[in-house]
Amino acid sequence: MDSATPYQINLDVFQGPLDLLLFLIRKHKIDIHDIPIATITGDYLDYLSQKESINLEREAEFLLMASLLIYIKSQMLLPRETLPEAEEDPRKILVDKLLDYQKIKAASNLLRQKEQRRLPEWQRSFLPPRPKTEELELTEVSLFGLAEAFYFLMKKREQQDLKTIESKEYSIEEKTREILEELRVHTFLDFTAFFERQETLEEAVVSFFCLLELIKARKVVAVQEALFHPIKVWRRKEPVDEHSGQNYH
Amino acid sequence: MNIPVKTIIEALIFISLEPLSNDKIKGILTEFPPEDVDNALRELTTDYNSPGRGIKIIEVAGGYLFSTQPELDSWIRLLLHSDRKSKLSPAALETLSTIAYNQPITLAEISSVRGVDASHALKTLLQKKLIKIVGRKKAPGKPLLYRTSSKFLRYFGLNSLEELPSAEEISKMLEEEDDR
Repeated sequence: MDSATPYQINLDVFQGPLDLLLFLIRKHKIDIHDIPIATITGDYLDYLSQKESINLEREAEFLLMASLLIYIKSQMLLPRETLPEAEEDPRKILVDKLLDYQKIKAASNLLRQKEQRRLPEWQRSFLPPRPKTEELELTEVSLFGLAEAFYFLMKKREQQDLKTIESKEYSIEEKTREILEELRVHTFLDFTAFFERQETLEEAVVSFFCLLELIKARKVVAVQEALFHPIKVWRRKEPVDEHSGQNYH
Repeated sequence: MNIPVKTIIEALIFISLEPLSNDKIKGILTEFPPEDVDNALRELTTDYNSPGRGIKIIEVAGGYLFSTQPELDSWIRLLLHSDRKSKLSPAALETLSTIAYNQPITLAEISSVRGVDASHALKTLLQKKLIKIVGRKKAPGKPLLYRTSSKFLRYFGLNSLEELPSAEEISKMLEEEDDR
């Protein structure tokens, strides 16, 4: 080849065979409408052979183009039987493809410039997810979610130290008051921490029952930021409209 | 109560998350003559686009939208705990311009123009909602047809597809480049 490649170019930098061909055409300052097919085919194959192995999945298209180039080259070598003007240039199919691709490439560059100008500008609906704060949108934990959390907590406690033999009695009224008092002081109650404080299984069960009652009465609400996040119990702020049963925020 | 139309429009654009179109504004402000709305819009955008402002009003995807000034990027990212917004990959960008200039278009046609299989890039673009499926081509296999979306316009700050240079203009640009 008359133009030995002066520097190594990784095939990966090209978007595809057309991209590589355009690069070669520019490099040799070739007129795209009159491509010296033998030169370009040789050059193209040189690039391909720089690769030690061909990854068929990624580079099948490069091989396909190589076969097209060789086909065109062979067509050009065939003796012409018909008059030249009636005959179509075998390179036409390639030239058309290259011209189309060149336009797309130019359009891509234009879009890239526009993107570049756009990226440092921010608009409200393009904001990424907000950083975590207490004001995050919270989802109410379902009864099953609560029951499951309670079950796992008790299971964990069981293996540790939960005392079951104790004769202290727990009243629902008393526990309910305790929970509400706790909410008044601390504004919210961490589900896990709260149940870890319960001394016996009985106390825990009574507390859980009270909590469910309070939720049912819509006095408190159990929420979490997302699935598997800590469950927090909050007192409902505004009185609930009894008639609609809806709570508007 | 005599609130200037410009003031109302300012609030409407502020509260809208989607680009707010001229027609939509006029649909709301029926008590004002359309020319007044147009004038107020022009004044408002000029007001905002004067120097010293942190935000500006841009015209994208056929509507008006508030946007921050590009120089403020680093502070905004501090507030949002966000990295620099990432660019599209070259393959995605090339696929996108193929669609923009040949829509509606099928995957096979895109791949043919680009000379490589474009299915992966297409998937990325669909996920980013920069393109949309608009139907099926009446051809063997009934392949899906793709078009650019309004988010595409927004992403590149275009008001409409007509703002893109035409294929002929691009050809001309390329010829001039060759001549140099």
